[in-house]
Amino acid sequence: MTASVESGADLVAPLAARRLARLRHLDLVGLVITLVTLVAAVFWAFPLYWGLVTTFKHEYEIVQPGFQIWPKHFTVENYVHVLLQTKIGLWYLNSLITSVAVMLIVVATSACAGYAISQLDFPGRRFFWWMILASFMVPVSALIVNHFILMSQFKLINTLAGVVGPQLVYAPVTIIIYKQFFDSVPKDFREAAVIDGASELQLLFRIYLPMNWGVTTALAIITFIGAWNQFLWPFLAVSSEDKMNITVGITQVHDAFGVSYGRDLAVAMLAALPVALVYLIFQRRVTQAIMLSAGIKG
Amino acid sequence: MSAAAATAAPHVELRRVTKRYGAVTAITDLSLKVDKGSFTALLGPSGCGKSTLLRMIAGLEEITAGQCFIDNADVTDVPPARRRIAMVFQSYALYPHMTVRQNIAFSLSVAGQPRKVQNERALEVARILQLEPYLDRRPAELSGGQRQRVAIGRALVRKPEVFLFDEPLSNLDAKLRVQMRLELAKLHAELGTTMIYVTHDQTEAMTLADRIVVLDKGIISQVGSPLELYNAPANKFVAAFIGSPGMNFFGVDIAAMNGRTASVVLPGGRTAEVGISTSASARSAELGVRPEHLTIVDPNDPNAAFAGAVAIIEHLGNSTILYVDTPAGQLIVEGEGDLDARSGQAIGLRLNASHARLFGEAGAAL
Repeated sequence: MTASVESGADLVAPLAARRLARLRHLDLVGLVITLVTLVAAVFWAFPLYWGLVTTFKHEYEIVQPGFQIWPKHFTVENYVHVLLQTKIGLWYLNSLITSVAVMLIVVATSACAGYAISQLDFPGRRFFWWMILASFMVPVSALIVNHFILMSQFKLINTLAGVVGPQLVYAPVTIIIYKQFFDSVPKDFREAAVIDGASELQLLFRIYLPMNWGVTTALAIITFIGAWNQFLWPFLAVSSEDKMNITVGITQVHDAFGVSYGRDLAVAMLAALPVALVYLIFQRRVTQAIMLSAGIKG
Repeated sequence: MSAAAATAAPHVELRRVTKRYGAVTAITDLSLKVDKGSFTALLGPSGCGKSTLLRMIAGLEEITAGQCFIDNADVTDVPPARRRIAMVFQSYALYPHMTVRQNIAFSLSVAGQPRKVQNERALEVARILQLEPYLDRRPAELSGGQRQRVAIGRALVRKPEVFLFDEPLSNLDAKLRVQMRLELAKLHAELGTTMIYVTHDQTEAMTLADRIVVLDKGIISQVGSPLELYNAPANKFVAAFIGSPGMNFFGVDIAAMNGRTASVVLPGGRTAEVGISTSASARSAELGVRPEHLTIVDPNDPNAAFAGAVAIIEHLGNSTILYVDTPAGQLIVEGEGDLDARSGQAIGLRLNASHARLFGEAGAAL
């Protein structure tokens, strides 16, 4: 009997101790951080949600005072109007052409520039490097008037080439990243290829770029997204509706009654769709590219 | 100034070359001739300039002063690709994104050779190096030895006049190194191409090369066959660098020098007659004796050069290494594999004086 009582006490004591230990293990700090992160996520995601549900509301419902978290009368009229009554197809195409052009040219020229600064020995190399670093510090908006005058003199205003041109100088980050990566390629690879008779272009395109393919895809994606999201310059460079990018096209969605929030937001949603898709498909690469441009090697 | 081999038709020749990096001089006024078809090893410790020398021959390093000739043509300012050389790097430098086939055929590919020729040549080389089953694999999927063979294959496919090897075996484990050493020797015997091989491993140099160039601080210490360097080192540096376990050195007083022999007084008072090759006179010198030239005898043996006590014993199977405390300091002695000795045991050491070398104050052999 005594023995059984003792064994019962033995059982109770560890149970209480285990509960206490579990409580102690409850990571309170972690819990608070998770909650804060959750609140922040809701805070950031809510405007997106709000924009999306608004596109499914009638205009009279949108302008009604009060807060409606879900449409009373669900409609796709805004999308139908935008898709059938505007030049959204053309704007999409313009955005695609200009963004792909910017992506290809920026990646190709940055790779060449990064390679030259990293691997070639030529007079003024250091000067060029400092110039690239310095250009990093000039805000694009400070150059916009110059860009406009230049493009105007080249008769490129209201052309897709005019939209693309100035965006090609937004490349210092890509050059810097390429240089860093090319710097880290062991010099034996270069020397082996030089002995094998490879030219500088062969070295770049057959050794250095393929060895850093991950960086190239990451940079291409982030450059594409950046070009797609450009608003200020395409807005200034183009006034003809036929040459507009989708981001600029949003400004054209109005009628005799003025601005229609539902339709505007529907275009905005459609404009963001390709970028969202690119992001979802290449999430890992985009994150890597963002880390790279922040100076963190992934 | 440096030593130079005097042969009729050197295949590779460096004429009074100097290499400076800013204020640092890596190679000083060095001349060297490498015979056609020879296997020459550039041997020396880290930082002695052996890799720099090889890279100057390859054209990867600019020559500050002097000239480089390959096949009697001055190639000092000729780019590496046009020197008809091929180089195997320590890191192998295999392109990770290419298959073995593409790696081997890379030089043909950049030269614009048709794909058919590239494939044929890659296959031919792969057959020589037994790499056929791996042609479609990438370097990451290969073992160290296979990677090394691909690196050699990449050099082989170019049919070069001269092969340059920059410590190609140092990334391999000991067993594989021995195997690859054998394969390299076989390859040299088959091809008969001039090979210049940089290593800091004296065993590699001794086993592979028919001629060794020992470098020290950017100058040539000695050039000779492996046995010449082992038996008749020109200076204390070479004597100490070649041979494992290393040569024993201790100070001696020179009692008399008679033509080709010197009578020296050993620490402890005994005397020995040692062969010399110079007529220079000196009062004291350092005597170098290889471990296998010290024989263990009874401590009371009247012919013993030293009496001492065994400090440490190392059984290597085929031989036994003893560290013996003597009046000349701790000496390394190499005995038979089945040598029966115990720590603290009193022994005598007899000196095989005909193999001992005397070194003067500056380290040069007397």
